[in-house]
Amino acid sequence: MTTQQRPLLIPSPRTPGAPELPYTPAYADQLKSISENPKPSSGTGMDINSQVDNLSLPDNITLNSSSQRSNSSYQSRASGRNSMREVSFAGNSVRELNSGELGKKPMRYGSRAESEGLSMSQKEINDEDARFVYINDPVKTNERFEFARNSIRTAKYSIITFLPRNVFEQFHRVAYIYFLVIAILNQLPQLAVFGRGVSVLPLAFVLSVTAVKDAYEDFRRHRSDKIENNRLAWVLVNDNFQQKKWKDIQVGEIIKISANDSLPCDMVLLSTSDPTGVAYVQTINLDGESNLKTRYAKQETQMKNLEKEKISGLIKCEKPNRNIYGFQANMEIDGKRVSLGPSNIVLRGCELKNTRWAIGVAVYAGRETKAMLNSSGAPSKRSRLETQMNREIIILSFFLVALCTIVSVCAGVWLRRHKDELDNMPFYRKKDYSEVEADGNYDDYNYYGYGLEIFFTFLMSVIVFQVMIPISLYISMELVRVGQAYFMIRDTNMYDASSNSRFQCRALNINEDLGQIKYVFSDKTGTLTENKMEFHCASISGVDYNGGTAIDEDEQVGYSAQVDGQVLRPKMKVKVDPQLLSIAKSGKQADQESRVRDFFLALAACNTIVPLTTETADPAVRLVDYQGESPDEQALVYAAAAYGFMLIERTSGHIVIDVQGETHRFNVLGLHEFDSDRKRMSVILGCPDNSVKVFVKGADTSMFSVIDNSLNLDILGATEAHLHSYSSVGLRTLVIGMRELSASEFEQWQSSYETASTALIGRAALLRKVASNVESNLRILGASGIEDKLQQGVPEAIESLRMAGIKVWVLTGDKQETAISIGYSSKLLTTQMTQIVINCKSKESCRKSLDDALIVSQKLVPDSVAAHATGGSSEASPLALIIDGTSLVHILDSELEEQLFQLASRCNVVLCCRVAPLQKAGIVALIKNRTDDMTLAIGDGANDVSMIQMADVGIGISGQEGRQAVMASDFAMGQFRFLVPLLLVHGHWNYQRISYMILYNFYRNAVLVFVLFWYALFTSYTLTTAMTDWSSMLYSIIYTAVPTIVVGILDKDLSRRTLLKYPQLYGAGQREEGYNTTLFWVTMMDTVWQSAAIFFLPVLAYWRSTVDISGLGDLWTLAVVIVVNLHLAMDVLRWYWITHAAIWGSIIATFICVMIIDCLPSLFGYWAFFKIAGSALFWLCLLGITVAALLPRFIVKVFSQYYRPDDILIAREADKFGNLTALRNGEIELNPIFDPPRR
Amino acid sequence: MSSGEGSSQPSSKKSRQPKYSRFTQQELPACKPILTPGLVVTTFILVGVIFIPIGLLSLSASERVVEIVDRYDEDCIPSDQEKTAFIQSDKTNKTCVRSLTVPKKMQHPVYIYYQLDNFYQNHRRYVKSRSDKQLRNPENEDLTSPCEPEARIDNKPIVPCGLVAWSLFNDTYGFSVRGMNLSVNKKDIAWDSDKNYKFGSKVYPKNFQQGSLIGGGKLDEKIPLSEQEDLLVWMRTAALPSFRKLYGRIEQDLEANEKITVVIQNNYNAYAFGGKKKLVLSTTTWIGGKNNFLGLGYITIGGLCLFNATTFIVMYLIKPRPCGDPSYLSWNRNPPGN
Repeated sequence: MTTQQRPLLIPSPRTPGAPELPYTPAYADQLKSISENPKPSSGTGMDINSQVDNLSLPDNITLNSSSQRSNSSYQSRASGRNSMREVSFAGNSVRELNSGELGKKPMRYGSRAESEGLSMSQKEINDEDARFVYINDPVKTNERFEFARNSIRTAKYSIITFLPRNVFEQFHRVAYIYFLVIAILNQLPQLAVFGRGVSVLPLAFVLSVTAVKDAYEDFRRHRSDKIENNRLAWVLVNDNFQQKKWKDIQVGEIIKISANDSLPCDMVLLSTSDPTGVAYVQTINLDGESNLKTRYAKQETQMKNLEKEKISGLIKCEKPNRNIYGFQANMEIDGKRVSLGPSNIVLRGCELKNTRWAIGVAVYAGRETKAMLNSSGAPSKRSRLETQMNREIIILSFFLVALCTIVSVCAGVWLRRHKDELDNMPFYRKKDYSEVEADGNYDDYNYYGYGLEIFFTFLMSVIVFQVMIPISLYISMELVRVGQAYFMIRDTNMYDASSNSRFQCRALNINEDLGQIKYVFSDKTGTLTENKMEFHCASISGVDYNGGTAIDEDEQVGYSAQVDGQVLRPKMKVKVDPQLLSIAKSGKQADQESRVRDFFLALAACNTIVPLTTETADPAVRLVDYQGESPDEQALVYAAAAYGFMLIERTSGHIVIDVQGETHRFNVLGLHEFDSDRKRMSVILGCPDNSVKVFVKGADTSMFSVIDNSLNLDILGATEAHLHSYSSVGLRTLVIGMRELSASEFEQWQSSYETASTALIGRAALLRKVASNVESNLRILGASGIEDKLQQGVPEAIESLRMAGIKVWVLTGDKQETAISIGYSSKLLTTQMTQIVINCKSKESCRKSLDDALIVSQKLVPDSVAAHATGGSSEASPLALIIDGTSLVHILDSELEEQLFQLASRCNVVLCCRVAPLQKAGIVALIKNRTDDMTLAIGDGANDVSMIQMADVGIGISGQEGRQAVMASDFAMGQFRFLVPLLLVHGHWNYQRISYMILYNFYRNAVLVFVLFWYALFTSYTLTTAMTDWSSMLYSIIYTAVPTIVVGILDKDLSRRTLLKYPQLYGAGQREEGYNTTLFWVTMMDTVWQSAAIFFLPVLAYWRSTVDISGLGDLWTLAVVIVVNLHLAMDVLRWYWITHAAIWGSIIATFICVMIIDCLPSLFGYWAFFKIAGSALFWLCLLGITVAALLPRFIVKVFSQYYRPDDILIAREADKFGNLTALRNGEIELNPIFDPPRR
Repeated sequence: MSSGEGSSQPSSKKSRQPKYSRFTQQELPACKPILTPGLVVTTFILVGVIFIPIGLLSLSASERVVEIVDRYDEDCIPSDQEKTAFIQSDKTNKTCVRSLTVPKKMQHPVYIYYQLDNFYQNHRRYVKSRSDKQLRNPENEDLTSPCEPEARIDNKPIVPCGLVAWSLFNDTYGFSVRGMNLSVNKKDIAWDSDKNYKFGSKVYPKNFQQGSLIGGGKLDEKIPLSEQEDLLVWMRTAALPSFRKLYGRIEQDLEANEKITVVIQNNYNAYAFGGKKKLVLSTTTWIGGKNNFLGLGYITIGGLCLFNATTFIVMYLIKPRPCGDPSYLSWNRNPPGN
């Protein structure tokens, strides 16, 4: 086969940029919409609710969804309300967005930004739902309700409760209950097949292993609890701060925290060392975000000196809940009522930073703190393979029932046929002659009539054949997964040096799903890109400044400011445009210069960044580190600093900016935080010249609607053009505007702002209204372009995934142009692809576009190919679907969904832009609900949480946007490109290993059961076991357990190198080649043959001989163990010394065990092994059995491998014999991918 | 991490980079066996080459065994009498004389077996009906609970208790050749381990076969169990419903065509369950008694392997597939769109 037969691989005759490319005629409206796009369009504006613009400042954080997840995994607390939400989630209602669920986000500005989601702020705290905390009066506080003390208990058990609770918890598993029922059945005298002790052995073994593990873990928790509870804190007692153990702290007490101390409980800040009442906390232990958060003490309490004057007041706050970003309360102090929000509370687990001290009053303690309420375990999912395995387990239980039925029916027939002989039969003797009845008749001994005898036989056969259901498999699988997780975590190729993060396995039970992924849904920002924002270019009043030069480390010192004799220098350097720099530096008051100044002033001021100064080696130089939640804001502030507008200080009331060497102080009069409805934020500054200015920045769509169109139309047009060109090279854009407020306007704003921010009902809505009133009639200053660099290795990774037959979908909140350009640069899109763009504003137009697109796609991709479209990399004209969030609003949750699915399944690439978090989940559900294909979602931000939870496998990137994605994920890693080793290498291995292990375990146990079954046919169906009880119980514990676990952890079919070189090999997992129903039945047929060989060969060889039960039983035991282990050995692909030790060791261990058992004179088969093993016949039988049993399998394997080889085998051969070069010649030659039209 | 390089973290923070080791990277040295044509053919031929000679050897060994089997249960009952009544009666004369011809020369020792067919010594009720503790130690004679319903008589323990002992085989055989008695050596017919450990030398039979239904042989109450070798042999319950048990040995050669006269005391009631009783005289070889199955089996397996080897070679010559030939890879084999 050569490339000629693969016409698809020949580079397309079309040249990039040829006019007939790439839009199909169906999208006339799409072309129009592109040109229209930057214009303020009321059509999009109306749907803005459902879009989330990633360009804008802090990304939306859907904490709700993450708490839903943890709630549902938190078994005991899952309330009805949460499950209701889960349902609506699954239904992926996009409309739900409007209900304000998404509005919630971290608030930082106490008095100003208490805007909360509607749902929260609309309800006032009722007295029943509130807790009353009397400040500095713990006695009174705890008088009516005993609030939880501050001692915590993460340990599950105490010494007394350990046994019952642990056992109870373990029996949540159905498998264990099966075990238990069997063991109990065996205790009935009529059914006692095994000795009493023996029958409990497997259950006891499993239970005790797990119990020891649990006990050890609990012991460690106890120890850490103790350490935690005995930590000391300063607590105000009798007007003096005294040290008190953490566990003794009570709600209502006043606590003083020093810098770098951990907080012992959740407390409301009363005062801090900062005169304005600011305290900085690090929440890394809580949500993993390392940046500092600002918290505020209320001015009313900040003024007081708590040690001198007694403070008293009442805080009325919500009942304890797990929302770490929400808090609602009010405080009555000195007769005034003050409202408290999330920015006034500091939480247990945080650390105080950059603040000398802070004093607060404990409101939630111990287990009621938000940190403790949030500590729930990793999410649990069930792997696809395990679900399939359960289907086979049901088949096996049918087998079991069938075998038992056969035995019991035969037993009934036998009894019936020998009815007359039973009384005297020497080996039955139904009559009990020892007790003579009065009438001369004798009682029956142990005989209950046909019905009961048959029934008892049935139950007894269930006991004897119990291992048919491989319970040990569940335990082995857990062990194997732990081993696999170990290897994944330890893989040096998945260690990310830049974030110092290893691969993390958060869910332990879906390892093998990684080998079957067909769809990857990826976030863009922070996942494909680094989310290290860098200011790239700016358009200021219609002039494009795009000449940023590369940073030359030596020459460019960057801007620095002199403050108090110290040189302050921004920590990060930004490349600057020299022309713009000279304009910014010139002190002229010309129009353009002042625009530039305003522009940079806006960049420096209109944000929530906190500057922190850090020491350097040179005592005269300090570095300014800008801490903030939005990387875009950071980039902008650094850029402003580079151009000489350096933010130096920020408190709640003012900011200090060093403008070209002069320090200016601006009063921050108000700040309207970013929210997803407005998609912009604004700050109201009182400038040193006593003017009041509003600076607004936000997404272009939202900004153009508030910019005064009557002014500077040409600037507006130029800016729009620049914006378009910025976003088409993949830059994130923001538009900045400003307005000067007249005194009357300011007063009007101030009064309404005061009213809104102190309102108790509907605060968020009121604040939003105030904001939109002031954010109007703006003068455009310009726009900024921020570069979001592609992560290392992303294009290569996407290419590998595509070759592996995985469809990569990118779901992003970015603009369409940005998304497409990132698509090109990441090689997601190639110029050979036909792009289908759906960009509609109504349901009808969506329907029309979908219909048209379907027709086109059917033309381009015939059905026959679509059916095999999983091949991935090489289709007839590949299709790319680009769809935006607005269209998705109309499509998802309507009858159009099916059409979208049809269309999407024909496309190689799907790019969704401007999608909201819940839409991301909706798209994942679109595929998940309609196909059996495995889906994987990967993302880094809070906006990806919903999609991560929806997908079969969720992967979190531990990146820049906090840890919520990681917290919700099943696996977490540092870089997108690790997806390749994770899926292609580890996923492949895990899948091959686990699937083989399941089949092997089925086989292993079934062989034993069938041998027992055959023997039952020769004991007049009475289930005498030739093997000793001990052997049949030790079978799955000692004789055969270790090799499967070792092989399940260590065996590997192909080397990492080969797997990475030929991503197509991943298809084996997608096609379920490792485990499927056919394989199961083939294995079962093999099982029947092998068990027959094991059983009948000795029977025929020893027929009419003097052999005794125990001797033959030992022969069977050894034969089964040898065959089963050699069967495994035949399938082992790589022999490590550990494998050798496990397999041969198991056989030797079996011999030893059999010998030991036969050395116990109290047992029935004393010395039997030594007697039978003394004859040549025994050893000839063993040899004959082994070969006869395995021969068919070997023959089938040889011939099928030789004449119908699968890819893995060929790759393995090539791997071993080193003709990889030959393989390479036959490899697909990829089309040269033309350089994306980036720059 | 919020700032550019994430270096706001103290740089002293330990790197979490996993340590490289061949084990954790799953790169331990390993042997990677692959079923190459050479290996396959070698394996098949090797198995064939080993199995066929073994098969032939066992077959010839089995053929060398001289075996005389005589079923006597039918013939040793007067045809006019009801079988069960006859065998159960104390009064009837159960002596039966049989004449056997030696087909080939039988070298000593000639083993005497009795064979029972259709006797389920492996029946669950039967197997469990014994008390190994009681057999071992005289102090345990009261431990008769598993032996029900043959545990006690008049509330005194039966030693040895249980159905197994109760149904002790009690036919006896006397042999003579040309009018001369052949002595039968009944020493050492049981396992040494049974004599020395499993059955106590201080345990004497008690209350045995005293019940209303006599199952089989009686025991001399003066001889300890460990020396009652017939009982020991019997109590090693057979694995299969057709079994032989060693009765004794004739320590002299039997010439071909010699007529052996056997005087059988036909005491044992195999008629109650339709069993068959046979007397077997047999020599042994290294393979044991006469059984052609193993030899035939080995030859079959060996032949099959050789056959497979040839088939494989032929197929290889007709349609060879080089190892690791990339043209067999699925994505090369079926280019989509064809």
